Formats: sequence, structure tokens, C-alpha cells
Amino acid sequence: MAGFEEVNYYFRRAARVMDLSPHVERMLITPFREVKVDVSISLDSGELGTFIGYRVQHDRSRGPMKGGLRYHPAVDMDEALGLASLMTWKTAVVNLPYGGAKGGIAVDPARISERELERLTRRFVQQIHDLIGPQTDIPAPDMGTNAQVMAWIMDEYSKIHGFSPAVVTGKPVDLFGSRGREEATGRGVAFAMEEFLKDAGGGEIRGKRCAIQGFGNVGSWTARFLHEAGAKVVAVSDHRGGITNPEGLDVPKLVEHTRRTRTVAGFPGADSISNAELLVSDVDVLIPAALGGVITKENARDVRARYLVEAANAPTTPEADEILTERGIAILPDIYANAGGVTVSYFEWTQNIQQFTWEEAKIVGELRRYMSEAYMTLSKVARQHRVPLRTAAFIVAIGRVGRATVLRGL
Amino acid sequence: VRPVKDLVQTVCTVLCKTLTPSQAEEILAVSRPRSVPAGNIVFKEGEEGSGLFLLLKGSVEVVKQGPNGVDQRLATVEAPSVLGEMSLVSERRHSATVRATRDCEFQVLAREDFLRLLERDNLAAHKLVGAIAEVLARRLRRMNEMAMELLSRADTPPPMEELAAFKQKLFSEWSF
Repeated sequence: MAGFEEVNYYFRRAARVMDLSPHVERMLITPFREVKVDVSISLDSGELGTFIGYRVQHDRSRGPMKGGLRYHPAVDMDEALGLASLMTWKTAVVNLPYGGAKGGIAVDPARISERELERLTRRFVQQIHDLIGPQTDIPAPDMGTNAQVMAWIMDEYSKIHGFSPAVVTGKPVDLFGSRGREEATGRGVAFAMEEFLKDAGGGEIRGKRCAIQGFGNVGSWTARFLHEAGAKVVAVSDHRGGITNPEGLDVPKLVEHTRRTRTVAGFPGADSISNAELLVSDVDVLIPAALGGVITKENARDVRARYLVEAANAPTTPEADEILTERGIAILPDIYANAGGVTVSYFEWTQNIQQFTWEEAKIVGELRRYMSEAYMTLSKVARQHRVPLRTAAFIVAIGRVGRATVLRGL
Repeated sequence: VRPVKDLVQTVCTVLCKTLTPSQAEEILAVSRPRSVPAGNIVFKEGEEGSGLFLLLKGSVEVVKQGPNGVDQRLATVEAPSVLGEMSLVSERRHSATVRATRDCEFQVLAREDFLRLLERDNLAAHKLVGAIAEVLARRLRRMNEMAMELLSRADTPPPMEELAAFKQKLFSEWSF
């Protein structure tokens, strides 16, 4: 989990390189608004259920604030704060006209019924409808929420404010959603990795041996796009365990297998492997695409990959980051590598506002352009100031947010 | 077993200076000895407050779980000393964990026994309340001073030149 302090660790590292004064640093870190609301609904049993909802809006200097809505028992203010600020820096790195926000409800969605989930979502919208909106704060799916939840948000918000599809992104394609949104993060990871390898002297994706931890939305789409680009996906894992085949896994068949059995485990023609083994397997590129904090000071010395692509949020702890960098392992940081999701969310919002639909080819082309332009800037800053890509990403983000802030004035 | 005279003296000097020896004996009469071997936990953060612990022999460490889940050592305390005194005057749970770092001997005054003494209008118990209040007042005064110092350190308003310098830097050195 990315608490406020963890996110600020990397922020501060960049701030030190830029020699920011403590006052300016504090101004940039301090969130714009933190909201905590009571979300009470009647449960199916007739009892009263009370839940706590959160929305943190971190910075709005560059545009409406954007960030996911998470339904998870561990959601709290600290986590929302950390993730909201991360969204500010992430949208700035890919140069989207957005600020950062994050929120959610402390609830386990698997333990309430679909009808309770709908009532909960609508009640939450009633509590925060005057804080969100197409030009102020635009939620999106996150852990525990999906396109259906976004559809309810759009509907409830529209009841109060009139027809407003642009108030959320990640909606179903049949209800003002965008083509290519589901696979956006994975596709973005593949584009980002392509730029990264080319720039870091690794050549092209074709023939690269990759290990991917996590086979949910992000992991499985990343695997598909890398496989299409000619990479050898030699190991993947999920919460039930992992599989490996040094000759490369048949990814389309694996996706089919996973759809049937809901796990990668037991895929024919592959050996089983633990999650811990996957992280230190002998590959060119390691791609953590599930949980945070999986590469730590305990296993960082055993990582054998030459490149680390952070498809998950915060998979590497600060200590591990230092060890890997020392060992010459190049890291493509999360705030850039997984920004494809929010980028296509931006395209969805753009289409909603224009009331115009883009074809898939346009979305793929624009995503490639945004990811590649962002990488050019990162790489230039990294070289110019001799810093790792993660620090460069925060420098770029601080620079863009800072310029917008001072140009607007206090 | 420790001579009663020694115990009485410890109570009078460490626990409450205004107690007469016979009043100290009244307090001791409702308290119980307890030994805790080195390395064992005396009481745990979050547990129901059980009473006042008079540390007669040994030493303990006071540990509190930080916001990141990592234990942080707040202090080490050597005998003779007093622990858990707040649990006598308020029904809160223990605010920190106490672990014996050497073999320890305590005299424990349970909250219920203390309250019973108070109810009987026992003067020794009242004196003890006064002593605890004095300790808490002293701590509060020190906290206030620390808070004032932190506030004065943090809240010097940012000079506008600082922002102007930041702006200049963003458009020269840090433009991309």
C-alpha cells in the first residue's frame, strides 16, 4: 500500500535534487481537500449498515482532479492521501490536463450483495456530488470497483446535475465508455517498455525473456501485448502460485485457461513456480503487475533481471530501489509505466465532452504518442541531471505542477 | 522476600512523598507482589489497564507501535520507578507495551483495589491521587512547551521571494 509517507519519500528525493525550499515543498505536498463522509444504507437484512467514504483531492493546478475509487476494507485517509498525491505526479508525468485525487469506501465488496453495492454507491454519490464533477474531480475504477459501479455513479450524479457522462471514466462501452479502456494499462506498459528498452540499450521487445507477477487485468493484458510483440513470457503467477516454461508460454492459450479455471496454476506444458521464485527468475525483464511492496531489501540482491518494469503501484520499497540501482538494474518507475490506464481514461472523458466516439486505432495511436512523448522527456531529464528514471519522473512532475501553480499565482 | 521496612520506604520516596509509613503500609496491604523474568511482557499496548506497577528491582523498556507498524522504543526505566499510574485514574487501555529487560520484581496495585480504598475514604489513597495528578500536570506542562516550540518553528510565513525564486528556477534550470 502506498501511504502518504512512502509516496513522499520519492517526492523528497527529487525535491532535494531540485533544491526546493521547505516551504515550497510543503505547498506542493499539502492536499487541496480531504473529505470523509458517512455512507449509511439499509442492508438486505433490514439492518442499518454504516460505512465510511473518503475522497482526497490533492492538486488542481493543472486541471480537474482524477483518480480511482477503491472499495476495500483497508481504505483509510492515509492511503487515500498517498494515492491522491501519486495521481497528481502521474498525470503530470504523462502531461494529461489533470490533477490528482483518490478515494473509496472502507467495505469488502465480496461480502455485500449486488443490490447493497448499488445502494452504497448511490448513497456515496449523494454525499460527495457537490465535490466531484466533469470539471472538478472525475473518479475511475480501482480495487473493488468496476464499470458497473461507474455506471451507477454516472446515473446518480446525472439525476442531480443533469446528463453528465464525463463525471466518471471506466464506464461500460455501452454507456459512454471508451474502446480500449480495459486493456489500456497493459497496452501502456508494453509501449513504455518498448521506449525504455530502446533507450537503455536493451534493443527491441522481440525475443526478450519476461516474467510477470500478477495475471489480473494489468498482468494478463501486458502478457498479451508483449507476446504479440514477440517477447517470450517465460513465467507468470497469481495469488494461487505461478508457472514457468523457459521456451515461452503460449499466452493466448493461458488467457483461455485462466478464464476457465480463474488461475494460471495447472496450465498444461509448464512447471509450477512460487511467487518468490518468479521474482528472482533468470529473465531479461521482470514485471511486477499485482501487489505493492514485493521487491524488498530481502530479495533485491537476488533479482536476476536486467530491467524492472513497474506495472503495479509501488512494487519496490525504497531500500530495494537503492539496492537495484546500485547493482545497475534499470527501473522503469510505476508513475510512468502504468500511466496508460489514466491516459485512456482521459481519452474517454475527452470523447464524452465532445459527444464523439473514437475508433480503437485512434485510441491506440494516441496512447502510443502520449507514452512515447512522456518517455522522451523523462529520458532527457535523467541524462541531463544524471538521475535514475524515477527521480527524473518526479522532477518532471514537480516542474509541471510547480509551473502551473506559480503561473496561476497564489 | 524483601523486608517490609524497605518496601515502605520505597513507597514513600518513589510513589508518593506525602505518605506516612503507616499509610504506605495501607497501600501495600491491598497490593500484590509480581515477578517478571527478563524478556517477558509486563503489560501490552491496547490491553485493559490493570493498575499501577511499582518497579522494585530490574529494568524495563517502554515500547509503542508506530503508525507504520514498527515497534518504537520510547524509554528504558530502571528500578525503583512507577509504571501504569494513568490506569488508576482513567479507564483507558495501556498506551504502550512494557517489557522486562532484566528480571523484575513489582508491587502491583490493582485498579479495583485502589478504587475500593478510595470509596472507604482512605486518606492514603487520596494522597496517591494527588501525587498522580502532580505527575500528570508536570507532563502536560512539558508537552505544552514542546507544542509551542514546534508551532513557532513551523509557522514562519514563507517569504514571497522564495516563491519567486522557485518560479525563476522552474523556467530556467528545470524547464523541459
